[in-house]
Amino acid sequence: MDTTRPRRTHSLIWVWTLFVALVVYLPVVCGALAGLSKGRYFLFPIRAFSFEWWQKTLDSLEIQRIVENSILIALIVTVVSLALAFFGALAFARYDWRGRRLYQKLLLLPIFFPQPVLGLALLLWFNTLGIQPSWHTAIVAHLVWIVPVVTLVIAIQVYGFDPAMEEAAADLGASRWMILRDVTLPILWPGIWSGALFAFLLSWGNFPLSLYTAGADSTVPKWLYSKMVAGYTPMVPALGTMSTLAAATLLLLGGAIAGFVRARRNR
Amino acid sequence: MNMTWTNEPDRQQTGTATMAKPALPVLQLVGVSKRFDGFTAVDDISLDIREGEFLTIVGPSGSGKTTLLRMLAGLEQPSDGNITLRGTLINDLPPRARPTCLVFQSLALFPHMTVGRNVEFPLKAKGVAAAIRKERALELLRMVRLPESYYGKNVMTCSGGERQRVALARAFAYDPDVLFFDEPLSALDYKLKKLLEKELKDLHKESGKTFVYITHSLEEAMVMSDRIGVMRAGKLVQVGSPEAIYGAPQTRFVAEFLGEVNVFGASLEGTGWVAETSGEPIRLVLPKPLAGASKAAVVVRPEYMKFLADPGDADNAVRGVIYNEYSLGSRIQYQVRAGDRVFLVEMSRAQARPGAGSGEVLIGWNAADAIVVEA
Repeated sequence: MDTTRPRRTHSLIWVWTLFVALVVYLPVVCGALAGLSKGRYFLFPIRAFSFEWWQKTLDSLEIQRIVENSILIALIVTVVSLALAFFGALAFARYDWRGRRLYQKLLLLPIFFPQPVLGLALLLWFNTLGIQPSWHTAIVAHLVWIVPVVTLVIAIQVYGFDPAMEEAAADLGASRWMILRDVTLPILWPGIWSGALFAFLLSWGNFPLSLYTAGADSTVPKWLYSKMVAGYTPMVPALGTMSTLAAATLLLLGGAIAGFVRARRNR
Repeated sequence: MNMTWTNEPDRQQTGTATMAKPALPVLQLVGVSKRFDGFTAVDDISLDIREGEFLTIVGPSGSGKTTLLRMLAGLEQPSDGNITLRGTLINDLPPRARPTCLVFQSLALFPHMTVGRNVEFPLKAKGVAAAIRKERALELLRMVRLPESYYGKNVMTCSGGERQRVALARAFAYDPDVLFFDEPLSALDYKLKKLLEKELKDLHKESGKTFVYITHSLEEAMVMSDRIGVMRAGKLVQVGSPEAIYGAPQTRFVAEFLGEVNVFGASLEGTGWVAETSGEPIRLVLPKPLAGASKAAVVVRPEYMKFLADPGDADNAVRGVIYNEYSLGSRIQYQVRAGDRVFLVEMSRAQARPGAGSGEVLIGWNAADAIVVEA
């Protein structure tokens, strides 16, 4: 048999994968390098490297403040959206009820709505209601967009859930609380976990909604944008790199925990 | 037609010891119906389930047998009628409060738990201490013939047959008076199915519990049951011992459900009965005269049909042509065409007619071997 053909296919797959990885990661790497430049401006090639801007970024009280804002917003959004999305996903995928199809469609709409328009619309609403925009209102704005996304993420897990398991648990004498704690939640846990990651990262990285609805308070993406528009400093790529690294760490940590749980279960 | 089986005399008292005394039925259904959005899944069923019996409900898919079982387990509520447990009305009693347990078709094992934790689940629900739970779980694993080392095994890495056993052990851990089975063996291969059927039957005898089993396979029902109920389109059409169901089907549906049989319409012409066929009229000798009826259906099992040398060799004789011959393993089946009708003739390989592959033959059966049912 001709063995060169599979080998050639194999090497082509490798070349293609490397190419895609290069296209995807080259800008990220450039951004990271820009943050390590000693110079004041965004110029290539970089003549001298230093951690000066990283240090300045870490020392900045302003940046500390916006990072705290972003983390606080993302954490609250994660908790609230998980609570809403968990039961929303059960209504979406588990229970058959009158109006379910309409609900499934209505839920998708905010996701497709352009975020800047959504942000502006929400700002107008807040003004009408006489609410001063701040990071509190940004949380509400984030929830409008993120709850549907997280609901869909958890709903995918719910679709794969055999309702007979809850029935079996009830038949074997379990109370509603025990069914939720010992059967439904653990089985849906992977979906809940990915939903939480989605919620946190989507909120952490969200710019258009924060721009309109956070008022005078700033978040990381909002600060990055404003500095790009006026007053660039290498703290922008430095903070961008830190943010990316933090997100990647969070994802890796999530993967590691999931792997650990799976390994423990299979033991 | 509203058939009630509650007053039917016991056809078979030889099953299990507990059946001998005519005690209160463990479960009693009176006029139970279930309707979903204008569709009637279970239609006016009355049935007594006896303490300690192995009752199998058979029927084609969509006949309502699963819905019936779900109502008994408390997972559905009847639209009409009453279900009583040892005399207490339990129509709306939730499943967790019933001394019954259902083994689901999908088994519904908890995929995130080990074999041991699956088996212990009902004990945990009852608040049994961990040490006692484990002891009992190991005991149950032995009972269903699983090694004790399976206690800590991930249930998803078990084979199909092992999962059956885990589901069974979990059901027994609940210690129910009545166990329901919703075709749990349908996904297994033939050999394993046979083995588990036998083990289930043994377990029924040893435990003395009441088993209610549903399946679409009459063969499965025949092997295991003390009594069989046949369902069709939401109705219970016949209940009786396997022997009674097989030997004396009361309707054409039951007869045909029992496997491949010769069924043909017969009508009274003058003083004699004639089979409905387009060819030359076939005169029939029936086992018993039908009072008042002018139409009937006649059932003759293929194994009661034989080849004749002379028309006088059997009560009924038909001339036909063999056009097909099948090997069924130890048995041979011939398809004989007579007019527009095909008769099945089945015999053991030892009795088979050599070289009967073609040509005209004479087939027949004795009146006593035919069953006459409503047309």
